[in-house]
Amino acid sequence: MSKLFTMSHKLLLSNKYKMIGWIIFFPSFILGLYLTISGYEPSWLNAKVFSIFPSQIFGDKKFFSMTSVNLTNTIVGVLFIVGCLLVGFTKEKNEDEFIAKIRLSSLLWAVFVNYSLLLIAFVFIYDTAFLSVMIYNMFTVLLIFILRFNYILYKNSKSVSDEK
Amino acid sequence: MKNSIKIERAINGLTQEDLANKVSVSRQTINAMEANKYVPSTVLALKIAKVFNKSVEEVFSLDEND
Repeated sequence: MSKLFTMSHKLLLSNKYKMIGWIIFFPSFILGLYLTISGYEPSWLNAKVFSIFPSQIFGDKKFFSMTSVNLTNTIVGVLFIVGCLLVGFTKEKNEDEFIAKIRLSSLLWAVFVNYSLLLIAFVFIYDTAFLSVMIYNMFTVLLIFILRFNYILYKNSKSVSDEK
Repeated sequence: MKNSIKIERAINGLTQEDLANKVSVSRQTINAMEANKYVPSTVLALKIAKVFNKSVEEVFSLDEND
């Protein structure tokens, strides 16, 4: 096998983590959407945590200090990113060079689409509304990549089952 | 790039699945190559030619666009 392929396979986790990824992905996706719309932050998730970078708006300008925050967004955000990474970067059951090529081209497609959308948002959305754009944009590259990759895989498996 | 995988498969009495297993790729990959939607790596091309006991040039050839 060529060096290039063994290298690209090393960057992928084993297929058994994909299911775990989907199990984390869907609840955190729905919860994340709900939280961004409702702004719900239960008080039992208030905590003092270690922070590298201080908040510059509300005084308290010490780097590497403890700070009081609500952890709702942190937890859901972390879960969603972990879910996305597990779903997007684990091997398929029948991983081979064709699927590796589909994965890479889907990633390229996702970056193009994501930044085209961001460009439009940059020009046409301002002030606090742009804050929402920034929040969604943290996750859209991975989200678009996962959608595109699985759509192409689905389309290919369909054209296989059509043929005898 | 053109290829005669489908014809060679018929001559050797192999299904897409059989060939896929022999060269350890998915059936999707064989299907995509037969539909000229995917150009295989040199390694895969060599493996496929070996299954058919032919040289690579007999199975794969350039077309006008290459």
